[in-house]
Amino acid sequence: MTKQEVLGRKPLKILEKIKENLEKLNEKMEIIIELQKRGRKGVQPLPDAPLDVMTLLSMPDHLRKTAMTVCRLGRATADEVAQQTRRARAVESGYLNQLVIMSHLKKERVGRKAYFYVEKEDQE
Amino acid sequence: MIILDKIIAVHSYKGGTGKTHISINLATSFAKHGKKVCLMDLDFRAPSLATFFSSKEVECWLNDYLNGTCKIDKALIDISNRINGGGKLSVVLANPSTEAIREMSAKDRKWEMRALGRLLALRNSLLNDKAFDYLIFDTSPGLQYSSINAIVSADLVIVATTFDRSDVEGTKRMLDELYDLFEKKTEIVMNRVLYDISSKSGKNSLGKKIEDMYQTPVLGMIPCFCDVAKAEGAIIFVQEKPEHLFSKIVDEMADKIERNNSV
Repeated sequence: MTKQEVLGRKPLKILEKIKENLEKLNEKMEIIIELQKRGRKGVQPLPDAPLDVMTLLSMPDHLRKTAMTVCRLGRATADEVAQQTRRARAVESGYLNQLVIMSHLKKERVGRKAYFYVEKEDQE
Repeated sequence: MIILDKIIAVHSYKGGTGKTHISINLATSFAKHGKKVCLMDLDFRAPSLATFFSSKEVECWLNDYLNGTCKIDKALIDISNRINGGGKLSVVLANPSTEAIREMSAKDRKWEMRALGRLLALRNSLLNDKAFDYLIFDTSPGLQYSSINAIVSADLVIVATTFDRSDVEGTKRMLDELYDLFEKKTEIVMNRVLYDISSKSGKNSLGKKIEDMYQTPVLGMIPCFCDVAKAEGAIIFVQEKPEHLFSKIVDEMADKIERNNSV
């Protein structure tokens, strides 16, 4: 490997890290925007809020659609959910994060991707 | 994206509308026409398929699968030898013991959430991996957890109803406040019809009346047959009396679903 190639690798890694951090920041901003839009009262975090069918029934339509899609897919990114619901990725990302705040969904970051899923405790 | 009607939940507002009878005969009709079908008893409050399909050789109940204590393979009972035709028919039974009924009615929301996950997983384990053509869920009436789990997991909900006034009102409410909220494809089966539907025009006008009443497509209309009542739920009409009008109507319903799936 030449000296130039070695030097070229570092900036690339730095850029990747910046991109990753920007994405994280973007997600946090989406949550803040969502909280401001709805007012904090409407989305108070719950300590334990299983996503059962009665909860799904009592949800507003826009959140139910997102939640049901995650139930069906098992584990999905905002992109994958958006493909199913045919809504914009940013919109889905907002709804997914709102469901996480409400403790109905869990979120896990793998590399650059954020995965959303229903709690799997004790499941096969 | 086209969703095929592969998982069918048979549901109703009230009990005694003929859900189990329709489920058994619909499953048998599909199997008689060469399909691989699995019929599941999701009526944990009043399990009935175990009585119908003898529960002697049950290794695992649907209860156990939903509890996460057994794989779905262990709960499948192949009863293809009980039907004619080239298809396959399996059943998954609900445990009819009083203890099991009591236990199932005491489950909490977290358990119900996991049960929903396990029902949703059947699409992969049975339709994709085991190549079943249809899964048919026989459910308990009304707004029970197990029924709503079945509805959420299904592609098509068949609503068995009658002209009983309270049934009609309750079914209308469920169409607006349950199936629509979950964006479910729903079709009506009007059971125990007392009107004359022997002529094509009579059948068409009643079909139109039911569609207008529920604002939902009609999958079938079944007249009130004394023979069906006399059989006391002991025979599969589609299998043992294929020439009976009831069997022909169920065959037509199966054919309609099949045609929708092949478009």
